[in-house]
Amino acid sequence: MVNSESWDWEIANKMVADTSKWKSQFEDVWEPYISSDGEKIASIVKVGEGEFNIAVNNATWGEEPFEKIWYSRFSPDGRLTALITKDQEWTMAVDGKPWEQMYEYIWDTKFSADGKVIAATTKQDGVYAITVDEKTWECPVKLHSIASHVISPDGKTSVAIAQTVATAEADVNAFTKGSWSVVVNGKPWKENYVDVYGLTISDDGKNIAVEYRAAICEYGIVVNETPWNEKFACTWEPVFHPTNSNEITTPVRQGGQWFLATNGRIVWDTGFYSLLYQTYSPDGSKIAATVAPSFAKWTIAVNGQPWSKTFNECLLQPCFSPDSRKVAVIAKDSGNWFLVVDGTVLGEGYDNIWPPVFSPNDNKVICKVEKNGKYAVAVNGKIKGKEYEALWNPVVSPDGTKVMICGVEAGKYYRKVVLLSDL
Amino acid sequence: MYEFVSGPLVWIAFIIFIGGSLYRIYYMLAGSKKEKVVFPHMSLEHSVASLVHWVIPFNNQSMRKRPIFTIISFAFHICLIFTPIFLLGHMILLDESLNISWWTLPEGVADWMAIIVIAGCIFFLYRRLTDPVVKNVTDASDYLLLAITALPFITGFIAYHQLFAYKTILIVHILAGELMLIAIPFTRLSHMLFFVFTRSYFGSEQGHVKHSKDW
Amino acid sequence: MKPTIAIREPVVDDALDQAEAKLTPEQIEKVINEVIDKETGGRLWTYVNTCIHCGLCSEACHWFLSNDRDVSFAPVTKIKDTLWVMLKNKGKVDAAFIKRCSQIAHTECNACRRCGMYCPFGIDIAYMILVVRRICAKLEMVPLYLQDTVHSHAATMNQMWVKPDEWIDTLQWQEEEAQGYVPSARLPLEKEGAEIMYSVIGPEPKFLAQLLGNITVIMKVAGCDWTMPATAGWDNSNMAMYSGDFEVMARVERLHHETAQRLKVKKIVMGECGHAFRGAEYDGPTWMGWMKPPIPIVHAIAFYYDLLVSGRIKIAKKVEGPVTSQYPCNVIRNAGLGSKLQYIMNEVCENFVDLIPNDRHAFCCNAGGGTINCGPPWKKIRVQSAKLQSENFKRTGAHTIVTPCHNCHSGVEDIVDKYKLGMHVKFFSELLIEAMEIPEDLQP
Ligand code: HEM
Ligand code: HEM
Ligand code: SF4
Ligand code: SF4
Repeated sequence: MVNSESWDWEIANKMVADTSKWKSQFEDVWEPYISSDGEKIASIVKVGEGEFNIAVNNATWGEEPFEKIWYSRFSPDGRLTALITKDQEWTMAVDGKPWEQMYEYIWDTKFSADGKVIAATTKQDGVYAITVDEKTWECPVKLHSIASHVISPDGKTSVAIAQTVATAEADVNAFTKGSWSVVVNGKPWKENYVDVYGLTISDDGKNIAVEYRAAICEYGIVVNETPWNEKFACTWEPVFHPTNSNEITTPVRQGGQWFLATNGRIVWDTGFYSLLYQTYSPDGSKIAATVAPSFAKWTIAVNGQPWSKTFNECLLQPCFSPDSRKVAVIAKDSGNWFLVVDGTVLGEGYDNIWPPVFSPNDNKVICKVEKNGKYAVAVNGKIKGKEYEALWNPVVSPDGTKVMICGVEAGKYYRKVVLLSDL
Repeated sequence: MYEFVSGPLVWIAFIIFIGGSLYRIYYMLAGSKKEKVVFPHMSLEHSVASLVHWVIPFNNQSMRKRPIFTIISFAFHICLIFTPIFLLGHMILLDESLNISWWTLPEGVADWMAIIVIAGCIFFLYRRLTDPVVKNVTDASDYLLLAITALPFITGFIAYHQLFAYKTILIVHILAGELMLIAIPFTRLSHMLFFVFTRSYFGSEQGHVKHSKDW
Repeated sequence: MKPTIAIREPVVDDALDQAEAKLTPEQIEKVINEVIDKETGGRLWTYVNTCIHCGLCSEACHWFLSNDRDVSFAPVTKIKDTLWVMLKNKGKVDAAFIKRCSQIAHTECNACRRCGMYCPFGIDIAYMILVVRRICAKLEMVPLYLQDTVHSHAATMNQMWVKPDEWIDTLQWQEEEAQGYVPSARLPLEKEGAEIMYSVIGPEPKFLAQLLGNITVIMKVAGCDWTMPATAGWDNSNMAMYSGDFEVMARVERLHHETAQRLKVKKIVMGECGHAFRGAEYDGPTWMGWMKPPIPIVHAIAFYYDLLVSGRIKIAKKVEGPVTSQYPCNVIRNAGLGSKLQYIMNEVCENFVDLIPNDRHAFCCNAGGGTINCGPPWKKIRVQSAKLQSENFKRTGAHTIVTPCHNCHSGVEDIVDKYKLGMHVKFFSELLIEAMEIPEDLQP
């Protein structure tokens, strides 16, 4: 995690940049991004024909413009990365400075938790790899494609789902023999699989798990190259226990119903029409998941016990309070999005709600909401304070007393720190 | 013999017919519930819309494309259902045993209605023997169903006209009628029971779920 | 009941032949009973016990009508030759029978649902055909090219083995192409909070990339706030739904919807494709437990209708001469967009000559339902069995047939080719690009 203690938590309303000026300064201004501490706002801008740069606060990012820039993302440590092209070749640029190596293609930037490590998928001479801080994997087998990759929170392990065997067009047999595998820091697992999904790495970076397809209609979980003995009609993405990385939990389908299984054993005895997004509480003592006890009736089950209130459209991923006691989720019912905490709807319906956060002390739930094209911060489902043209997810201070609100009003970007009790 | 056939056996036939029908409908509903999506996809409005378009002749494209078939099919089914219910002969029996009665058809009309049903069965039989598609999906059960349907009308007609061996024919007729009642829940004659449900489901799926129409 | 006499030219399909050699009677029996007992319920039972064997559904099917009323193509025959036998024998059938089932269900029925609309009971033959496909898929009895496509979905989450970099690269290239027409046009990737996520089917980046350029121009002219994902989840197509591999189908649909949820858009607008709409609007959500898609899906026809009605796009010059349009089953008969299609056709064409029959009664192009994806071995019979629709096209005298669906597009091209119709086949967006007004401030 980024250490937010070092951020500026003084109560203040700081105008960081007048982004409305960008419109006259540049030919085109793309959608803005902000750094995690809220101190910087950046937009890719067009400065001329085939010339792009990034406006960051009152400066520009690159010394010189690039032919093309996209996927500008702030690393958690505040550096601004983007993918850029020069002479038809691509690379990563960090704070405007391109990596030395150029690639046929580069995409899917990922960061370690502290933001110090930057990784992305690269392709060079038809070979796919993960490049971590300018160092490209040296893999003993040729990787023909990379479907997805993850990086451990400490940045030391990067893992990808990759195609390890080339298959000819319509060569069904080669495919069913297995042509995909998991590659860890450039070293592929011994086994090839028909398909691999749901790549995940434990918080301590020690264990890696995926779902795999054992046969045409048979799925299972592999942890560190060892498959579970149990196979299922279907599985979804597994999740490691937050503190005990030997425990892994995933939804599994059996007899036309979904169950929750830990290390291969079904742990919730009720089956559901649907079961998704299993989430451990921070202390690891509970699991909440989004479930449909029957068709088109959605709710949250905590340790297998569904809430009585159900919603008719969908639910997103549940989120625990820091003390592991409460569960919040965003639910859609009859066209509106609602904030739901422990089975009770808080506040009114919105056009959109972003992932909620709990304040650590008093379990208030804070989130960004959208109504009629304007954005605002809502506490326990009720809009507090102004409406913004653009707004980012509010962040609660480590001591739980303050909230950082970053938003654009009348073209100007503000970073505000307010007392939670004042909201 | 006659006493038994026209007494207890009638009761038994009706009990099996009603009980069997209820059971089959229950079985169908239970099976649909098991499928989870069936009921959430249903809507009363679209069920009714579908039924309105399919119980009224020529109210859908399929029927308009085959006018002769449609006329025969409707005539057949209307006569099939209304003749026994409003038949004087049946009413007399009902009145004697249970002391209830309602309006009855003039005898000449009932006679003609029976003939229409018999003619309808002959038409269906002819299709089964000549139309290649129908022939290809026909087996003994289809002929049997036609026979079960036609027999009460043929025998009832003969009995009414007292053409020969009245007493025997009447017994055969009553047995045939009872056979038909018993057959309805347990053969594909159960289409009588399921029609409303299959139509409602398809109408709902087309209308409620897919925002289209099924006629 | 005597078996149906079905005379077919022999077709070599490696996957089917292999599966036939491999399957054991025990496997077959187990899978059939498993699917019937666990995956079906009241619907199948009621349909089978209600069907009065009247044959009225045959009149609806273009396979039957195009093949001189060959009974082996009649809808009810397709059920007789598959499910009736399986049910009667309680799953005790041989591998050759399952192979024939796949041939019937995968290659000789488009699951177009027209017959359901002609059966007096509303018996959904297409649903039962999908049950047969499900059984076949679990037995790996799926035509080679269709199975390969499903493998592509399973491995890459798109239909055409498009790799992640190829996808993004194509979008960036088409953005440049679009800027040739409208210099300020942009194809915004990964723009969280946009109003619209635009999704397409695999063949667009693979073979028809110009359509991505077209939409970039249209979105700019209409002033839409839109985005496209730079991750898997961009492909809305789904052949797994048609092979019978519902687990892969669900995984693909789930990712598509979750990508829209991740991007926080208000709706998904999808390109001109019918089966993709069916998967995203109906089959996928139903499997997942959603009554309707968690983020609403708008098909291109409805989207262009909205743009034209609201005046966000104006027509500068209508397309001249007679133009007709195919009515894609999955968005017309099975989604009710018929009158919107007629409206937009009249808006952009001087002389829109309608098909007879039209709207929800129009016939399938015979490419739908996964049949075209069964590939070259099955092409001959497929195009031959589209004879009826070829005559319907011919009668319009149009110079162009619009196909607001990718499968229709390929299928109608095959029809035009085989029956020498001499007509162009175009997507609606291609006409729109020609006809629409590009405001002066947007011109180069
Ligand atoms: C269940 C027990 C039944 C009994 C006891 C019964 C009894 C009778 C009797 C007593 C007659 C009058 C014969 C006469 O006029 O001399 C009759 C006629 C007739 N019954 Fe039934 N019946 C039964 C069931 C049915 C059923 C199920 C049908 C048809 C669905 C049917 C159709 C007819 C017809 C068509 C006639 C002759 C009408 C005419 O030609 O005018 N009956 N029945
Ligand atoms: C309200 C009840 C009923 C409805 C809605 C109904 C509906 C239908 C329909 C839609 C058909 C398909 C062909 C056609 O349109 O003619 C049909 C055929 C038929 N029905 Fe019915 N029916 C009903 C009751 C009955 C009853 C009570 C019987 C006899 C006991 C019966 C016997 C038949 C026969 C014999 C056929 C023709 C089968 C063939 O083609 O060989 N129906 N019915
Ligand atoms: S769904 Fe379409 S193709 Fe299949 S049998 Fe019915 S009408 Fe024919
Ligand atoms: S029209 Fe309906 S009842 Fe008649 S044969 Fe076809 S599916 Fe069966």
